[in-house]
Amino acid sequence: MTSFAESATSFISTRPDSELRGRAWSNFESVGLPTTSDEVWRYAPLSELDLEHFAVPATPTLVPPSEFATALGALAASVVRVVDGFLVDIGEPIDGVTVDLNPTMTTIGGDDPVERYASDAFALANAALCPATVVVTVAAGTVVDDPIVIIHSANASASFPRTHLVLERGANATVVEYYEGGADALVVPVSEYRVEDNASLRLVTYQRLDATAWHVARTTGLLERDGRLSQAVLGMGAHYDRSRNDADLRATGAQNELRTTFFGSGSQVHDFRTHQFHRAPRSRSTLLSKGAVADTSRSVYTGLIEIEKGAKRTDARQTNHNLLLSPNAHADSVPNLDIRENDVVCAHASSVGPLNALQRWYLESRGVTRSDAERLMIQGFFLEMLDALPPALARLVEGDVALALQSVPVIA
Amino acid sequence: MTTLTISGLRVAVGGKEVLRGFDLTMHSGEVHVIMGPNGSGKSTLAHALSGHPAYEILGGSATIDGVELLSLSATDRERAGLFLAMQQPMEVPGVRLIDVLEAAGADPAGLHERMADESRRVDLRPELLERFVNVDLSGGERKRAEMVQFGILQPRFAILDEIDSGLDVDALGAVARRLAASTSEWGCGVLAITHFRRLLHELTPNVIHVVSGGRVVATGGPELAEVLERDGYEPFRESAPL
Repeated sequence: MTSFAESATSFISTRPDSELRGRAWSNFESVGLPTTSDEVWRYAPLSELDLEHFAVPATPTLVPPSEFATALGALAASVVRVVDGFLVDIGEPIDGVTVDLNPTMTTIGGDDPVERYASDAFALANAALCPATVVVTVAAGTVVDDPIVIIHSANASASFPRTHLVLERGANATVVEYYEGGADALVVPVSEYRVEDNASLRLVTYQRLDATAWHVARTTGLLERDGRLSQAVLGMGAHYDRSRNDADLRATGAQNELRTTFFGSGSQVHDFRTHQFHRAPRSRSTLLSKGAVADTSRSVYTGLIEIEKGAKRTDARQTNHNLLLSPNAHADSVPNLDIRENDVVCAHASSVGPLNALQRWYLESRGVTRSDAERLMIQGFFLEMLDALPPALARLVEGDVALALQSVPVIA
Repeated sequence: MTTLTISGLRVAVGGKEVLRGFDLTMHSGEVHVIMGPNGSGKSTLAHALSGHPAYEILGGSATIDGVELLSLSATDRERAGLFLAMQQPMEVPGVRLIDVLEAAGADPAGLHERMADESRRVDLRPELLERFVNVDLSGGERKRAEMVQFGILQPRFAILDEIDSGLDVDALGAVARRLAASTSEWGCGVLAITHFRRLLHELTPNVIHVVSGGRVVATGGPELAEVLERDGYEPFRESAPL
């Protein structure tokens, strides 16, 4: 049997930029997989992670998309399909939107990818092993009314999708990134979003991988002058779900709204990390993280707001609410602030506890059973995150979330 | 005919006894009105009967046709036929009313249309019900959203806790007419808590109860509302002779 390293080096040798990728790979090997003694990985069940279970695919394994993915696509302006990180369908053409396959591995800011992700083993693995960079560009001034849907299916035992979304000056679009598949697989997506001057990107990332998947994702938004990124991340699936979402507010007036939510059941671990980096005056960020943990699942939320000297009149707010649905579930919440400028407004709040008893009573007083009331309220966490979507599409995702939650026993 | 009987009800909130032996009996199809000064226990009655977690039942009983409500969960009290339209209906972010009503047992077939019909009957724009429960609704809109729920769930008895507050004159008339119609449509027993006589212009009460100090201190016909309006509550204060 081929080892993971053998499959990786053999894959890298077929790439046009094999030298750069080889550098990323050797850095990955020297950094090594993190261990739980590393503070930022201390909750990950890393002792269960054995790379030898996985192999880097040379070609995509095509399986028909799920019923849900098909229905999602039916409501989109265009459906881009990515299988095991390979772009297999660029979707319907839309005026002002291009979907390109860049066979090399790049970063959206043009900086050295190996430097950029220097200490992040998984991002380095993605840099070495992504089949290509899928680049969706919305041209300057283009307004796309209906959402562009990117369907990622993970069918191989390991996949490393790499996606760039570029909204040029004044462009405006809604994008849904949907992940499915991933049975017994390692799924390591790296996505970067560049929102140029006065552009606006509404983004929903819906992770619905198999309960056996390892999902280690990293997203970075680069926001230029008055650029707006409104991002919702919904984590439902995976055995270990790591989602790091960073925003670099690098120019005056940049705005980032980030909402993350997760639902944990069984022995799942949801591990959410955020970093809002304010580097310019009058930039704003609001972050709302809401999650629920049932059974013996656990969650971690660690968020950093960093404000650089000179980023005057920055407004940064961070809120984290965690719901404990079982006495054996556990949630940790660690907000951090690093502020080097005085003229700012910065606030953070976090809570860990059960569902709001009065809201629950209100629903019960309508004749709703306690378990239905709780299910509706937990489902509500997710539904709140979907308001960037047009109603028909939101309804579809809501239905899928409801279905996923139905199978979960809720213990108050 | 169905009968709601409240007898000797004693309720504490925050360790303080607020209802101190409350008695009331009413039948299906009747309209009863509870009036009384602030702090007399009117809202406590509504909350306690609906199983609000902050209210502690110290004694007494409340039955519908002999079925004790006070030992039931909030859910089962509603299912036994008791509905509360709240004074301050709360926001439940992320939850849609249609899903609540379906979970409450409303027939899903044509539910959307029935909700729209009920909205129009109380001058509420039906599209407001597409929002999450009570989120971004004004006080008056929330009251009318409660009335939509009432119309869909068709309870045997409904307690309306100051349904008139926050409503303009036109909306108030529509709500009063909706309530009056329910008494014949499905024989609903209506128990309205109010400070104001104007609700009663289009909702004729069979009985008015004056509450003071946590119990009913006077019971009479519609003429009692006029007496209250003229003389205020002072003559009815608990210690005052009737």
